[in-house]
Amino acid sequence: MPEYEAVIGLETHIQLNTKSKIFCACSTDSWRAPPNTHICPICTGLPGVLPSLNRRVVEKALIMAAAMNVGEIAPESYLARKNYFYPDLPKGYQISQYDEPLAGNGSFEFPMPDGNLRRISIIKLHIEEDAGKTVYKNSKRLIDFNRCGVPLVEMVTGPDFRSAEEVGQFLIRLRQLLRWLEISDADMERGQLRCDANVSIRERGQQRLNTKTEIKNVNSIANVRDAVQSEIQRQVREVEAGRKIESWTLGWDDDRGALSKMRSKETEADYRYFREPDLLPIQTSSEDWAATVSQLPELPLARRSRFSADYGIPDYDAGVLTEERSLSEFFEAAVAAHGGDPKRVSNWVMNDVLRLIREQDTSAGELGLRPDELAEIIRLVERGTISNSVGKELLTQVQGSDRTPSQIVEEDGLAQVTDFGELSAAAAQILEANPDQVAAYRGGKSGLIGWFVGQMMQESGGQADPKSARKILEQLLEG
Amino acid sequence: MALTHEEVRAIAHLARLQLTDEEVERFAGQLSDVLDYAARLNEVDTSEISPTASVLPMNAPLRPDEVRPCPPRDQLLANAPDPAGGMFRVPRVLELEP
Repeated sequence: MPEYEAVIGLETHIQLNTKSKIFCACSTDSWRAPPNTHICPICTGLPGVLPSLNRRVVEKALIMAAAMNVGEIAPESYLARKNYFYPDLPKGYQISQYDEPLAGNGSFEFPMPDGNLRRISIIKLHIEEDAGKTVYKNSKRLIDFNRCGVPLVEMVTGPDFRSAEEVGQFLIRLRQLLRWLEISDADMERGQLRCDANVSIRERGQQRLNTKTEIKNVNSIANVRDAVQSEIQRQVREVEAGRKIESWTLGWDDDRGALSKMRSKETEADYRYFREPDLLPIQTSSEDWAATVSQLPELPLARRSRFSADYGIPDYDAGVLTEERSLSEFFEAAVAAHGGDPKRVSNWVMNDVLRLIREQDTSAGELGLRPDELAEIIRLVERGTISNSVGKELLTQVQGSDRTPSQIVEEDGLAQVTDFGELSAAAAQILEANPDQVAAYRGGKSGLIGWFVGQMMQESGGQADPKSARKILEQLLEG
Repeated sequence: MALTHEEVRAIAHLARLQLTDEEVERFAGQLSDVLDYAARLNEVDTSEISPTASVLPMNAPLRPDEVRPCPPRDQLLANAPDPAGGMFRVPRVLELEP
């Protein structure tokens, strides 16, 4: 059996997180809104209305283009009508872009789990409006136009992917980037990030492209990966059996976890694109473009390399700390405020701060714990003023409090007890209350020392310095 | 540039129009005349002229990203032939849909 390789290209649709729609002032926030409550004559295509383009849509699309390494932006790009007949498209055409899109010729580089980088070419990037939604209820076909006119960026990649795994990683990193840039919430389940995949196979080493199938309607990254993987395997089986691949459109069935053939190509429309006569061209001056590029924040991949290079932390840490932008900023500010070993700060952020963020379902930016407060807590632990466990508890006590960590420690008496006399008295009491354990220890079960230390910690509410406690207990037990 | 009857039927299908044979015959002639008329532009040498999408000053006025209230739903559904549950009810359009 010859060795096959997959050739996969993606068409992604990204919902931009503007407040209003692309051509009218209706709200875009229609998740769970009652049907048809965010619509107006413009987005439902009533006669005599005039669309007017949302400035933020153009700005956010340009940010996206800059992040995709697009070198030059089209100084003038055109909106076009894509005509097709479908009930969720009230105008009978979608306003999109066709032969003169906003941007082309970009690339996106992202890390694979093994640490290698993959670069995927971006063929074109354009803006367009979303269509409505068909709801099937009791064999009725009902249309909700709330989503009509919600702004999208359509981004088409080259046929550069060679595995389902690469497709999955691309989507994970694209989602990360969109949130990083704050241009889309990129929630796939809410349709804010959508992906169609074109899949074909060929014998390894060949250059030509074979007949492809198109996978549509997949609503999670895991499902895209599964759908692409199963389609690659199906094509290999077909070719091995001497059958031809036909250019089907396949839809993902969430319930069955499998692909099935969608409507036949009979409806593959002749879109009869022409330039939108109601809208003037989008002009992007070289100054605007230069400003967009220069204002682009440091991107996740670059920040990740910088974190490992500048702070000497492992690449794994750098990856976790740059998963999300506000977390990476939190870490960097905490390192600056701490002034000591960045790895120590990284450990606190990755273990304790991230746990709080997950438990409270929030982000580093909205945690209510400032980076300098974390730095102060770490220093209090490092100096031995408080125990590690008190330090962890302090994290939540500082959240939303007006007091600094040091004030809390002082005012609430949380400092570690290292006083010899105080610890000795407590140890003596514990020995007196537990004669059986004392006898067992003295009979040779020296492992019980941990249990005694535990009792001390419990009695002191975690404030006893465990090292001193252990030393004192050992002296008393041996003596 | 004579349009064939097949082409006229294909165009009619895209617009979901049902034409009689007589109409196909008539529109084939009319559409061909329209195309022939427009084709006269081919006689002009436009190699030095950039395409003109509009004669207005060529900069799209952009709108600030602000939300305004939408008209009441009942008003928008008033012209729907068969509304149900706040939605527009439509007939089946694809052969494979549920």
